[in-house]
Amino acid sequence: MIKRVEVNYRGIFQKMLGKYIGSDIVQIATRMGKVAFSNGRYSDAPERNGIPCKYFAFVSPDLSEEELEAECGAKLDIDEADVSIVVDDTMVKGVEPWGWHGVRPINEKVREKGCLLVVSRHPHDHLLQFIGKKPYSYRLATLEGGASLAGLWVYKDDLTRERVLGALAAVDPGIIAIEAVEAYLLDKTKDARRAQAAREAYEATLRRTRIVTPEEGIDWPHEVPILPKWHEFEETGVVVRSVPRGFQLGPRGQARNDAFKRGTTKTHRPVVRFDLCIKCTLCWLDCPDECFDPTDDGLFDVDYEVCVGCHKCAAVCPIPECIVMVDELKFTDDKSPWEAYTKSPQAYIEWAELKKGKERIAYPHVTGQGVNITEGTTVPPKVAAV
Amino acid sequence: MSPKLPVIDFEKIKKVHDAPLEEFYTSGHRTCQGCESALVMRDFAKASGPRTVATGATGCMYVANTSYLTTPWIIPWMHTQLGAGGSSAIGMAAGLRALMRKGKIKKEKINVINFSGDLGGGDMGLSGISGALQSDYDLLIIMYDNESAANTDIQATGLTTYGAQTTFTPPGSKHRIMHRRWKKNVAAMLAVGHPTCRYVATASATFPALDFMNKTRKALAIGGPTFIHTFDPCPKGWDFHPAYSRELGELGIKSGIFPLYEIIDGQVVYTYDARRKGRIPVRHYLEKQGRFAHLIDEDVDYIQKQVDVMWNEWEVPGVAPFKAGLQVAAR
Repeated sequence: MIKRVEVNYRGIFQKMLGKYIGSDIVQIATRMGKVAFSNGRYSDAPERNGIPCKYFAFVSPDLSEEELEAECGAKLDIDEADVSIVVDDTMVKGVEPWGWHGVRPINEKVREKGCLLVVSRHPHDHLLQFIGKKPYSYRLATLEGGASLAGLWVYKDDLTRERVLGALAAVDPGIIAIEAVEAYLLDKTKDARRAQAAREAYEATLRRTRIVTPEEGIDWPHEVPILPKWHEFEETGVVVRSVPRGFQLGPRGQARNDAFKRGTTKTHRPVVRFDLCIKCTLCWLDCPDECFDPTDDGLFDVDYEVCVGCHKCAAVCPIPECIVMVDELKFTDDKSPWEAYTKSPQAYIEWAELKKGKERIAYPHVTGQGVNITEGTTVPPKVAAV
Repeated sequence: MSPKLPVIDFEKIKKVHDAPLEEFYTSGHRTCQGCESALVMRDFAKASGPRTVATGATGCMYVANTSYLTTPWIIPWMHTQLGAGGSSAIGMAAGLRALMRKGKIKKEKINVINFSGDLGGGDMGLSGISGALQSDYDLLIIMYDNESAANTDIQATGLTTYGAQTTFTPPGSKHRIMHRRWKKNVAAMLAVGHPTCRYVATASATFPALDFMNKTRKALAIGGPTFIHTFDPCPKGWDFHPAYSRELGELGIKSGIFPLYEIIDGQVVYTYDARRKGRIPVRHYLEKQGRFAHLIDEDVDYIQKQVDVMWNEWEVPGVAPFKAGLQVAAR
């Protein structure tokens, strides 16, 4: 028997976290007398900031090391997971790590009676408005907390790693037991606080696990493309087609690469108050992902399908409160905001302010130093007379 | 001699509102959030227009832009090997010239642009680029410099800033500074040795606004082999939040650590003259990046001193490190 765990993490920002959780599972399972190993998904390399990536851990009580490795070692992806861990909850909207992968549901690999474990502050029902339906029942557990984001050289030691191990022991004791987690953390770090954090997460997760029935979740809106097989390639070899040329003013007026949109990279999206815009063009000019569409009235629409949420437009925008980054889980669609604005400016501004809420987030320059939250101001609409 | 070809009359983009709206490098690439090198690609394609072919040496921008049978390029592009940036550009330009001579294609100016990274262009492919700049072909080589081999998770190159942490140079308890090489001055080096090359420039994709697009146009309008070195803050390898990639570029230029200039027919024109406009302390630039987190005051002072020497004592400040002027040797 093999137990498979996958850790879904944000590329680079959580690279260390994903790797550490994988190796901890192996060490704890080994101490329990099982055979285990962990690896990253080769095709995620080289990782890019924010891209959804995966790390795997495999545990078996009865196979030999060679047998386990032969079974799980050289695979691009696993077919099913006993536990899928998600260390940033915005990934529940789907993951698309590279072209020809499609936006796939986060619970794609969760097997029947398996568990999807999400680090999130949101309740189960909120997460389920983004997660696709499964034909069978599985469990959904949440571990309260925000995404622990750091950088390539940095591991952010905020106990997320220990808490995830505790939560994993709660959702599937067949992989690692909580006593073994505690003993391992105590032995390794000589820090009772870490073992304590794991135990608390274990108990909280026991309370925050529920069954998801086949009726729950959404009908998955994205198609999964089928990669051409080697014998289907053209006779001349592999031809990678350029994007056909095309441009016109207005939403989605620029021709784009359809095979890879990568909007699932974002944790926040820019919400634009078009009425405050002074048409300085900086958001459009400095966007590395070409997601702003010039419109005939000099404004710039946002194509959220291709926006990767880098925060750059909000940083270069000279007008306070004009472009504000908002948590991706507040949105259920990628519709054109400019169309909504031109249809009804007042309704759009109200909607935008509602989505923006009171909190404004700002990250310090160097990664892994948390996030600063300040209170925003509400700027009255400029188009009230229209 | 090269045959006379019609030239595209590239206009200088004076205002941001005059920047061309159409993209020739579009969404759907696998670069990092806040990638400045992606902006270099976008801007050179935008500035040069549809009659352009691009060749890319292996590196971040090639791999991120053409993975798994998809591409964000609208203009034709070709992948070439890590050190082959210069030779691929010559081959492309020579091929087009031959086709035009034989009447197989219409005689027109087709922009041939190669992009190589700092490892592919400044270290490994330097000889190929040098060869290309000695030719009489119309080609532009753009070296996008994110100061590391970023595609393979940040290895040090000859263009990494002194003291930076990379995969090759992790700071330890015994040796704090593992990267002890000073950044290689590629643009000036190429300008000095290649009289055939009439235009060499350094640039940053976002600061000053439009500057890089205009330099691309100027290089293409001047014609012959030309070279641009761009300074691209890399959120992944320099370890800062993607929101600040524009700010870091601006700080790097204002602190004088990366001089911005053009060399047109041997004449140096400063785009941002740090002597006249003043420099901010390099500390403001260094402290905002995780790759310098291990530096102590002494190291920052050392880097500051080197930058001061570059601007105050060099014969051509920021460009050529000759000091004492010309002296006639006593016989």
